[in-house]
Amino acid sequence: MELKETVKEVVYSVVPIVIIVAVVQFALKLPAETIVNFFGGAVFVFIGLVLFLTGVKVGFLPVGESIGNAIVSKGKMWIVLLSGFIIGFVVNVAEPDLQVLAGQIDQVSGGTISKTLIIVVVSLGIGVFLALGLLRNFLKIPMLYLLLGGYAIVFVLSMITPKHFFGVGFDSGFVTTGPMTVPFIISLGVGVSSVMGKHKSDNDSFGLVALSTIGPIIAVLLLGVFFG
Amino acid sequence: MILNLFDGFGDVLIEVALALTPIAVVFAFFQIFVLKFPKKKIINIIKGVIITFFGLSFFLQGVNAGFMPVGELMGMALGESEYSWVLVPIGFLLGFAVTLAEPSVHVLVDQVEEASGGHINKKVMLITVCIGVSISVALAMLRVIKGIPLWYILIPGYIIAFVLAKFVPAHFVPIAFDSGSAATGPMTVTLILAIVMGAAKQIEGRDPLIDGFGMTTIVALAPILTVLLLGFLYGRKEKETDG
Repeated sequence: MELKETVKEVVYSVVPIVIIVAVVQFALKLPAETIVNFFGGAVFVFIGLVLFLTGVKVGFLPVGESIGNAIVSKGKMWIVLLSGFIIGFVVNVAEPDLQVLAGQIDQVSGGTISKTLIIVVVSLGIGVFLALGLLRNFLKIPMLYLLLGGYAIVFVLSMITPKHFFGVGFDSGFVTTGPMTVPFIISLGVGVSSVMGKHKSDNDSFGLVALSTIGPIIAVLLLGVFFG
Repeated sequence: MILNLFDGFGDVLIEVALALTPIAVVFAFFQIFVLKFPKKKIINIIKGVIITFFGLSFFLQGVNAGFMPVGELMGMALGESEYSWVLVPIGFLLGFAVTLAEPSVHVLVDQVEEASGGHINKKVMLITVCIGVSISVALAMLRVIKGIPLWYILIPGYIIAFVLAKFVPAHFVPIAFDSGSAATGPMTVTLILAIVMGAAKQIEGRDPLIDGFGMTTIVALAPILTVLLLGFLYGRKEKETDG
């Protein structure tokens, strides 16, 4: 039953765009070989996404929730923050969208910004900001202030980072919050805020995803400032 | 040709194994010291991890061997033709199709309907977000063709977002900012970004690193602004009925 839902979901997200791209390919009269490759690739992507989403539901999310509950029940701030950092990091390393983007950055930059470097830097950014987002539950800082502060830092860094790190940095932020990271962040945030703030708990867990997009942006822009 | 599709699959398998190792180590640590799940549950989890491993591998292989090269080729063919403006309507169309189908957008739409107590209709919202993303992708294409700096789009976008955030009911703000990543799913990063990259490589005076990347950021602005705008309209309506 679950599998049927997943298959439906993936069909909806893959088929329309494949059709449009296929039509454009025929119109452009691209060589037959590339078109065959494209459809082959589409089949791979389809199978891959179905398996991936199923695997994440069966194998990863239940563990994520249990870990979230276990951490929070200890109630110690440093344990929550450290775990938030580590979990943000390791989950994000396995994010499919990030793998693709990092590969593209590597290729376009001719290897000067390597895939591994981007993945590690972006994941560090997510880890730090996820921990910060959880810290605000303890210190009761409004989310809007954190977002504004975060974007202010992003703005300043954008001014001083080399041009070619600018777009890359922003894209890293939005791309990394994909099908692997978002469910983890949400379940962790809901767990922590339901224990910490007795009221307004659902308001508290929102904004954590937005905050987690700022982390990688800052991390990549910083990378540019120091090594660009 | 079939052989072609499996080119480099071994490398992908190794990469994916490396990507999943850290998370597996953390799981193992928690299992041994904290969680202590029963054997049956562990076996299920291991199955899930193995399925994820193959899923991620097939996905990346399909992207590397099929989607990326074709997307790039399309972008290059369109970029070097005199009809490069066609990229704009194609971008619009792709943006619409991708968003309409994106599962996380549907989750977002449900959230907003709930936050507005049913006043913001799901279907209206879905179409609005789709149009928003379509305009964004079209804008991203225009940016590559004309070489418009990313700044010119991002600064006004974020200023509008933060100003609107002051005027919408408070509970709309975090939903709006969280929604930024809702429309940037796997299809956006693979196909649309590849087309943009191809065009940026071919059009004279464009650097893919500078003029190509930033595309998903423009796309991410669309749902943020849409949710805020709908929240703004909803807030005004609420005030009217109150007064």
